Amino acid sequence: MNRLTGRNLTIAYGNKVIIEDLDIEIPDKKITSIIGPNGCGKSTLLKALCRLLPIKKGKIALDGTDINKSASKEIAKKIAILPQSPEVADGLTVGELVSYGRYPYQKGFGRLVPEDVEVIDWALQVTGITEFKHRIINDLSGGQKQRVWIAMALAQKTDIIFLDEPTTFLDIAHQLEILELIKELNQKQQTTIVMVLHDINQAIRFSDYMITMKDGEVITQGNIPEVLSSQLLAEVFQIDAELMQDKLTGKPMIANYQLVNRKYSKVEIK
Amino acid sequence: MELKNKIPFHFSIIFTIACIILVITFWISIVYGNADIDTSTILNAIFNYDPEDVNHNIIIDVRIPRDIGALLVGVALAVSGAGIQSVTRNSLADPSLIGLNSGAALMLALTYAVSPVITFPLLILTGFIGAMLGGTMVLMIGSSRKDGFNPVRLILAGAAVSALLSAASQAIALYFRLNQSLIFWSSGGVSGTTWQQLYTGIPVVAIIVVIFILISGQLSILNLGESIAKGLGQNVKLIRPGTMLLSMLLAGISVAIVGQIAFVGLMVPHISRFLVGTDYKKVIPLTAVLGGCLVVGADTVARLMGEAPVSAIISFIGVPYFLYLIKKGGRTI
Amino acid sequence: MIDSKLKRKQIIVCLVLTVLLFLAVTWSITSGEYKMDLSAYLKTLIGQGEFKDNLILMEFRMPRMLITLLAGMALSMSGAIIQSITKNPLAESGILGINAGGGFAIAVFIVIGQVNPNTFIYVLPLISAAGGILTALLIFLFSYNKGKGISPVNMVLIGVGLSAALSGGSITMMRKFNEDQAEFIAAWMAGNIWGDEWPFVLAFLPWILIIIPFLFFKSNSLNIINTNDQTAKSLGVNLDKERLILLIASVILSSVAVAVVGSIGFIGLMGPHIAKSFVGPRHQLFLPIALLTGAFLLVVADTVGQTVLPIGTIPAGIVVAIIGAPYFLYLMYKTNAV
Repeated sequence: MNRLTGRNLTIAYGNKVIIEDLDIEIPDKKITSIIGPNGCGKSTLLKALCRLLPIKKGKIALDGTDINKSASKEIAKKIAILPQSPEVADGLTVGELVSYGRYPYQKGFGRLVPEDVEVIDWALQVTGITEFKHRIINDLSGGQKQRVWIAMALAQKTDIIFLDEPTTFLDIAHQLEILELIKELNQKQQTTIVMVLHDINQAIRFSDYMITMKDGEVITQGNIPEVLSSQLLAEVFQIDAELMQDKLTGKPMIANYQLVNRKYSKVEIK
Repeated sequence: MELKNKIPFHFSIIFTIACIILVITFWISIVYGNADIDTSTILNAIFNYDPEDVNHNIIIDVRIPRDIGALLVGVALAVSGAGIQSVTRNSLADPSLIGLNSGAALMLALTYAVSPVITFPLLILTGFIGAMLGGTMVLMIGSSRKDGFNPVRLILAGAAVSALLSAASQAIALYFRLNQSLIFWSSGGVSGTTWQQLYTGIPVVAIIVVIFILISGQLSILNLGESIAKGLGQNVKLIRPGTMLLSMLLAGISVAIVGQIAFVGLMVPHISRFLVGTDYKKVIPLTAVLGGCLVVGADTVARLMGEAPVSAIISFIGVPYFLYLIKKGGRTI
Repeated sequence: MIDSKLKRKQIIVCLVLTVLLFLAVTWSITSGEYKMDLSAYLKTLIGQGEFKDNLILMEFRMPRMLITLLAGMALSMSGAIIQSITKNPLAESGILGINAGGGFAIAVFIVIGQVNPNTFIYVLPLISAAGGILTALLIFLFSYNKGKGISPVNMVLIGVGLSAALSGGSITMMRKFNEDQAEFIAAWMAGNIWGDEWPFVLAFLPWILIIIPFLFFKSNSLNIINTNDQTAKSLGVNLDKERLILLIASVILSSVAVAVVGSIGFIGLMGPHIAKSFVGPRHQLFLPIALLTGAFLLVVADTVGQTVLPIGTIPAGIVVAIIGAPYFLYLMYKTNAV
């Protein structure tokens, strides 16, 4: 039995139902990627699973208790979240933001106890940003900023981390850097990772488990070698793709893809 | 271009209905007032004016100029609003919200402080200069470098510039002891309109509205955004400031006649677009007529409520409308 | 993780501001129609002054000065909180129409005619606070979007609209007033510090003593709320509830202040901004500086308005607007984060 499960979930923005009657389970201590075409509801599902978005029906349980009924601070000690391209007030320093990760553990005026300071230093060190501690966040590059946010999530000292498109707006080298960091966390700390990714090849390369979605429904969920197939890609993304072996990682990768239904190319351009 | 050649049938119906409503509103406005005057007396006053008759005097010297003043201001503010909304591509823009009214009021306060007796054409000119001052400040600060006219920035800059200019007006009024006339400008009312003001006001407003109708095709293109307008070969550098200048002139005239009235320029173009779509060839004429209806109607209501300020009456409709627009999320056109 | 250098800087800035504030207060008290010279003022302050000086200082100038100081602090603090919860660096009670709401409530109160001179002073802050809270709740209600929560941008837009309507409403009602009442509301809207006797201080002080410490206590939550909605939620902040509580607290603070000093805007904008430019956006650090800055600005503005003209005075609110509005516009020009 995994720690985080969702049963009969119905999720809506206002009156617009995005996801209906969905069951989901997040495997412990693994990296899970949620993939699917634009508007399939993957970000919606991610936000609902970590209680950022209220659900209409169903139940999301963490260690047997309903996360939408638990004290939010208690959940924050178990699940950390990196939102999609978060913004921050001007003038805030790296050290300050990372220290906010200790908020769930604090009371009253929020004085940092020695243990907090230790955890913050550790988070800065793991993400390799100790030297930036006193820098202003908005002066940093995109890749560095993303590390700061990951450090804040780490300072929460949780077993589960959610990331919503952590590599968007980064160049390819920084994308790899962030994903390597996430992988390392998973391997060294046994942290459960759940993330939404756009790039299918990156999802395959860096995760163990994959949830594919289309039109608000989960098409498959399972370990990557078991679920990944050309048929799946055709069904979910409408692409005709070949699965090859990545010589570097030994994992599968998709290549030589084109649209299944080449309707767009049939439009005559005069 | 097929779009250009014909105004669709339903527009002419809507436009005719709007004109009929305007005539009716105007008539009601002449008939109802403190002194009870019957229809035949009114007609007599218009066609066989008798200078000895008190009722005739009320009709010719008070009510008719007042109603024409209301009509004129309504047309001016509504068309001005349509022009500003097109240039800024911001459906929340309004002459008062982007600082035109408070700028005009400041210049008028200054003028009165320097010389209390001043001819009306000169007053219009001062109002125009003031509107330009306020509007230019707001537009310069309200357009962020990144994405052109950002609606929120525009509104915020408008609020701040208005606060500044009003504070300056208040300081001038306190220093020169102009209090009475200032309350008049900040609350807005058409009761004091004279024929002399109208002799200058009518031709100026009429000419500007005709120009607006002539360039309405350009406004529709401008409304698509600067890059698209440029791509279609429009001379954006000429059309944008030109439209803005004409809008400021209209706002300046209205302030010189009635003081500050908000929300007319916001609401009326919206209603017009709702009725006939986004083609400015239809929007401008309909906006002019509906603007007249709104202010004439509001002035009648204000009179029936014992000379309440017409601006307050319009705010009672305008603010809920503004809130509704925000709630709907229609922050850009 | 507050840098110790930053902490030292905060203490130094606080000390410098305290000195500046004392100088401003001295300037303000020693100028005016009755010129009290510096040595007389200092002597009186330590209880060794002459009877006449003592009377003028304790009965006339001191209460007015305290009101000005407290109001400056309250307005600055309130602006700081409103900026953090709306995450809009340009928000404050004047721009949001909350001051206008208080004024409207006072105008209604005068029209209804329940003015009892004995209790007027104590009731006025309540009336103003009620009007302010009502306005704030309206803004809250209209900017609340089911599923998405509060939209800070809409909050500001709605505030600007409401502000126009409420000031218009107050002016409309002025026509029903007699001359004294009309003059009172006109002066009030211009931001004339009128509550200048000891009872006003007594009516004002309890609110300050309760709300300001409460807001300091909330510093930590405020830091988190000021990051972004998703982060705040994921760290366990009950966002809508916290926002509402903080909004009401800050609205009470500013409404009570404007009840005694009239509608004064922009202090709530300038105070926090100047403070943040010294020590950054962490609330524990910048709030004390914002308090001092707000008090300093209002004392200076009031003194300038009282003394700069050869004849007559300019209400503090007008002086503040003439300095504050350009500052606001400068900030807008600089920032892209509206």
